[in-house]
Amino acid sequence: MELRDHPMELRDHPMEHRDHPMEHRDHPMELRVSRETLVEDRDPNGPLHSFLGNPGAASSPSGTGSGSETRKRREGGGAEGGESCAGDGGPQCFHGDAGHQGRPCPTLPPSDEDLYGGDEDSGPSSSLTAEGSCSLAPAVDLLSYSQREWRGNTAKSVLIRKGYQQMMEGFCGVRRVRGDNYCALRATLFQVLSQTTQPPDWLHHVAMLPEELDGPEGLLSLWSFPGERQPGDGKRDPTQRLKGYIELLRKTWTAVADCPSALQRQRQCEDVFRGGEEELGLLEALKLLMLGCALELHHRMQQGLDVPVFCWLLFARDSSPCPRTFLTNHLRHVGVSGGLEQVEMFLLGYALRCTIQVYRLYMSGTEEFLTYYPDDHRDDWPCVSLVTEDDRHYNVPVVKETTTAAAQEAASR
Amino acid sequence: MSFIPGQPVTAVVQRIEIHKLREREHLILGFSIGGGIDQDPMQNPYSEDKTDKGIYVTKVTPGGPAEAAGLKMGDKIMQVNGWDMTMVTHDQARKRLTKKNEDVVRLLMTRKSLEEAVKCSMGGYANR
Repeated sequence: MELRDHPMELRDHPMEHRDHPMEHRDHPMELRVSRETLVEDRDPNGPLHSFLGNPGAASSPSGTGSGSETRKRREGGGAEGGESCAGDGGPQCFHGDAGHQGRPCPTLPPSDEDLYGGDEDSGPSSSLTAEGSCSLAPAVDLLSYSQREWRGNTAKSVLIRKGYQQMMEGFCGVRRVRGDNYCALRATLFQVLSQTTQPPDWLHHVAMLPEELDGPEGLLSLWSFPGERQPGDGKRDPTQRLKGYIELLRKTWTAVADCPSALQRQRQCEDVFRGGEEELGLLEALKLLMLGCALELHHRMQQGLDVPVFCWLLFARDSSPCPRTFLTNHLRHVGVSGGLEQVEMFLLGYALRCTIQVYRLYMSGTEEFLTYYPDDHRDDWPCVSLVTEDDRHYNVPVVKETTTAAAQEAASR
Repeated sequence: MSFIPGQPVTAVVQRIEIHKLREREHLILGFSIGGGIDQDPMQNPYSEDKTDKGIYVTKVTPGGPAEAAGLKMGDKIMQVNGWDMTMVTHDQARKRLTKKNEDVVRLLMTRKSLEEAVKCSMGGYANR
């Protein structure tokens, strides 16, 4: 199968860089099996189904051997983002034949490995997937991160890289956040806690919130925790459990605020955010705060009082006309099967009495590039920053000031 | 969707976005694939053309991320996050879907019922 004779012109197609796209070309017709594999990142050489009933067919010629070789080459070779090509000047290679006289591009990994291949166990991403590790990866340089993640010349890549470029004015790095459906809550809470110097006043008044919510409305009986298919599946009463989580939030906040330096505060936060029950409890507590806030705002709406605009949008959704349906159709699924919608980000900001400033990279070049959740308390509430490429996954940007301060400190010695 | 050398391949396509689920240290998508240029296309029950070596969805796990995104058994995957899936080996296909640093895969897929829906709505005009 000669790809070059294929009628589809693959000029700007991501596959373009491959000169020997199919290593198996040496044995084109030999592997005649029918494999079916479950798409996940576990070892595919485990139990395999096969229509022909052939047990575990041999792994494809590309195998895993070349993977580790690539990894070694990459780690030993140039620094991240240091790969450059004599052609277009970017780290990627779209030269086709002209740039390399028919030889494969020397800066790229072997042709049967993808541009992104070989990264599986190296770099900051691996620390996110190991159990018990911090839910936030260490900070990496913003520019090289954007160049590494968004290679290519598609309109989308260019747009996203442009967005990261614009962020360079205030930020120098980014920390990847564990990417499950909790990431918006996780990123926000981490930012809030790591920047707090004093627990907020309202924190002292939320201890009774679980009982208040459960009281007349019986709302909390509808709460479900991750891992439970039905509300009330778990052994503990949700009200008591949430009370415990609220108390945990209060204690954690106070402990973090008491830290003597920003660095220690950060370390303390990293200790808390380890993917365990502690972190989960804090995030569930946040959800409870959001519910409380939604209830309060809904009451105000019913009394004809002034409420921020997002409330109308929140309760105008067919699926959440009231706080009860907001809980059953939206909030209790957050962290399980869904994340936060934008209108719910407003609610989160209100619940924490802070302005969440989000750089939305797929909106770069528009007025929605930088969005404030909420936008009506920018002067009086503390502000935290997040970055997202798609309004689904949120990461934490790292401010430039700390590195400048550290550099100045180093320079003055 | 059959491939005739010299003629452009056309298909009615749909975009589907699957948000992978993290289960401990694994990323779950919730579906199985069959097909690939190194596989036997005659065994594929979903393809119209029995020489089609594309990647097809053979199973969708109920309640999984793929089902939630609207993927169905029998769908043919044309692209994953911009990478072509019509001319790949089975393993390459699996790798493209399971990159650890990607939490979301955006698929370009097609299925027979889509073509038929379009044909019906165009009053059979599309049948050349």
